[in-house]
Amino acid sequence: MRYKNLNRLLILTFFFFFLILPLGQILAQEDTLPPAPPTEVRASDTQNDNGHSITITWKLSGDDGAGKKDVVAYEILRSESPAGEFVVRGMVPAGNNTYQDRGAKEKEDKNYFHPYHDFYYKVRAKTLNSYSESGVAGPAQAYGQWFHLGKLPVFVGTLAFTIMVLAFISLARKGKKFYVRPLAGIDAVDDAIGRATEMGRPILYILGLGSAADIATIASFTILNRIAKKTAEHKTKIIVPCNDPIVMSVAQETVKAGYLDAGRPDMYQEENIFYITSMQFAYVAAVNGIMLREKTATNFYLGKFYAESLILAETGSVAGSIQISGTDEIAQIPFFVAATDYTLIGEELYAASAYLGREPLLLGALKAQDLAKAIVMISLASGAVAASFHLDFFLRLFTVQM
Amino acid sequence: METIGIWIAALLTLGIFSFLYKDNPFYKFCESLFVGISAGYWFVTTFWQVFMPKLADNLVAGRLYYIIGGVFGVLMLLRLFPKIGWLSRWSLALVVGTTAGLYFTRYLVSNGMIQVQNTIIPLYVKGNLSQTIGNLVIVIGTFSGLIYFFFSKEHKGAFGGLAKLGIWFLMLSFGASFGYTVMSRMSLLIGRMDFLLGTWLGLIR
Amino acid sequence: MNFLEKLLALDRRIIFLFIAIAVALPLFFTVKLHIEVTPVVRNLHNALEALPPGSKVLVSLDYDPGSMPELQPMAESFFRYCFMRDLKIIIIGLWPNGPIQANSALEVILNEPDIKKKNPKYGIDYVNLGYTAGNEVVIERMGSDIPVTFPKDYSGSKTEDLPLMKGVKNFNNIDFVYNLSAGYPGTVEWVLFGVDPYKIKLGAGNTAVQAPQIYPYLNSGQLVGLLGGMKGGAEFEIATGHPAKAVKFMFSQSVSHALICFFILIGNFAYFATRKKKGA
Repeated sequence: MRYKNLNRLLILTFFFFFLILPLGQILAQEDTLPPAPPTEVRASDTQNDNGHSITITWKLSGDDGAGKKDVVAYEILRSESPAGEFVVRGMVPAGNNTYQDRGAKEKEDKNYFHPYHDFYYKVRAKTLNSYSESGVAGPAQAYGQWFHLGKLPVFVGTLAFTIMVLAFISLARKGKKFYVRPLAGIDAVDDAIGRATEMGRPILYILGLGSAADIATIASFTILNRIAKKTAEHKTKIIVPCNDPIVMSVAQETVKAGYLDAGRPDMYQEENIFYITSMQFAYVAAVNGIMLREKTATNFYLGKFYAESLILAETGSVAGSIQISGTDEIAQIPFFVAATDYTLIGEELYAASAYLGREPLLLGALKAQDLAKAIVMISLASGAVAASFHLDFFLRLFTVQM
Repeated sequence: METIGIWIAALLTLGIFSFLYKDNPFYKFCESLFVGISAGYWFVTTFWQVFMPKLADNLVAGRLYYIIGGVFGVLMLLRLFPKIGWLSRWSLALVVGTTAGLYFTRYLVSNGMIQVQNTIIPLYVKGNLSQTIGNLVIVIGTFSGLIYFFFSKEHKGAFGGLAKLGIWFLMLSFGASFGYTVMSRMSLLIGRMDFLLGTWLGLIR
Repeated sequence: MNFLEKLLALDRRIIFLFIAIAVALPLFFTVKLHIEVTPVVRNLHNALEALPPGSKVLVSLDYDPGSMPELQPMAESFFRYCFMRDLKIIIIGLWPNGPIQANSALEVILNEPDIKKKNPKYGIDYVNLGYTAGNEVVIERMGSDIPVTFPKDYSGSKTEDLPLMKGVKNFNNIDFVYNLSAGYPGTVEWVLFGVDPYKIKLGAGNTAVQAPQIYPYLNSGQLVGLLGGMKGGAEFEIATGHPAKAVKFMFSQSVSHALICFFILIGNFAYFATRKKKGA
């Protein structure tokens, strides 16, 4: 009895070792069989960069998305010689066929990428428990480019626009009369100043919260200059509270120049152009106080405005002042439209400054902008029509690769 | 200590709110306090966050080329002396020039080219009415808006008609932003109310 | 003067009073409103969900106490989300007050029971690099070197000594940028100086005033997603499954909006009715 059982055990063991186990292994091997390797691996310098990167491309493994469909990722390996030790530089999920091997540009950095140095690459297709490698590609070297060709449209745009501005300015200097359409807000300036003179009350001019470098503030300086000149002629006081010390300095210069133009430099009072604070709402609170205490007849809000626009315009409206506003801050225009008598919408502010100043510099710039707008409008209209017929020529004109 | 802070904040809030009724000495006091404190705060911030780390520390560390920036800064202060005040224009020129240069290409790319690129879209999308309408609105809106801001031609005839359409588009967008701003203002008021009723008076959780 | 004319000449203080009541009264009630998560907020949330744990998120707080009611809840909900998801937070400010706002938001969040359990550590899970002057130039400089732009953190420790900052050289080492903005410098500058030149992934929370100006950047894909005003903040809280302050305030917001709509309607009605009469 005992021996019989032993016999059975031996037979079973025999079966297990010599039949079932190998069969299992054969079956399991199906799973560990390597996938088809990636082919046509190419390594070359990455274009339009500073010279610390190589781009590797390959043809997907036959088992990526087709065949056994078991490729899950590709590993990119690099070595300094074809037979040398390859180290993993990165991994991309299945379905991708490019990789940018990038490194730091500082020599002391651990990840420094040596330019002008030969590198060799291999791509490894990975399944869950197996892999296969491509042949070695290379040598490839990384080097920087002098020009970033992807940014060519920016270069062309900048160049064309600069030429346009310079050409129009030079034409304006030569005395060419440029037409600028009338702007309602600007035609009202004279009446507004006249009213202040009649009432014997001051004029308040707010340059907004912008810095001296903001285009809106710069445009506002030109308008301030014209208005200062007129107030000097009418002997009306002008108050300019500022939010930025630099803006204040420029505003003082501007008003002084206006008084000089009017032939009344003696009337210029620097203390009326002053700095309050750079804090938005503290500034607003102070300006509101000025409006109510000084009972200003006319308020100008020209420049860059943010949340304070409505608070200012509302206070002025309650105080019964005539108000002329203008800003390129789109979010604030609705409030100015609602609460002031005249509003210069966005670019109209710049146009007003050119219109009033009649300075060749501003006029030229305005004309150049108009031409640029015309080009954009034409491209936009033709581009949209072309795009409806699946033509992307116009689209490519504006495509920038950074 | 915190209680005192909350009380001061609450009283100042009420002081500023009192302007809604009418201008009064309490409001004026709060206003002056705010202006004074914020000027002082800015001075201290500028000194410790700009002057010290950006100039003084660098000079002490031996990076002497920072003196160039320092000199331009001093030039700015020369406005205090009328006779040599004109020297400050150099600093102004530097500020205005660099900012203009820095912004030109960035604006051209981000607000110009990329935006135009995203406006060049098909006017007709087969089998998708809502997208077709959406695309038409974007293209016509942008186009007519540009017409309104074209200053070299008087708004007359067909051109004037397009400009008028442009201003309609502009007004619609202004309406939307008006709504957003009302929301903003209400949020600020809610914040203050929550502070007064909750943090200060403890009436709400 | 008939009723309509009286209505037009209504003392604005009466309107102020109505608004005050409309804002204050709802604060006493807890009403569960249905808040729909709009696609712009959903997109931001999805982009964050796609970040694996341990990803480094740069948070730039560009506002001051003036915009706290709108942006502070966004800062809090964002920090909470990052801690829960084990995202590493690097805080900076282009406004001097930004990092201070960050600290007060952190104080609130770090005291929440869920977060306390996670016990995030300064220097490892989050850092506050403080403010540096220079506005958009700061972004430009960060593109080439973050530790040089912010050599010290808020409390004066060397940036390079912070474990979290190890290996953070420039925007290449940052997985996502989140910007809370109330003006200049803010989201526009982040798009101009960060997204386009350095290809950073940017999501933003803005005051409602600013939001309409930011929308074009969403359409063009320069911005991943946007929280516009308190409503955006509330949507984000809903999307992350943790309703908090912004959601709580939505009832007040809704009631006050309804009242304003009512005033606009009767104001316009009175205006046109009286004008017609005068014209006749």
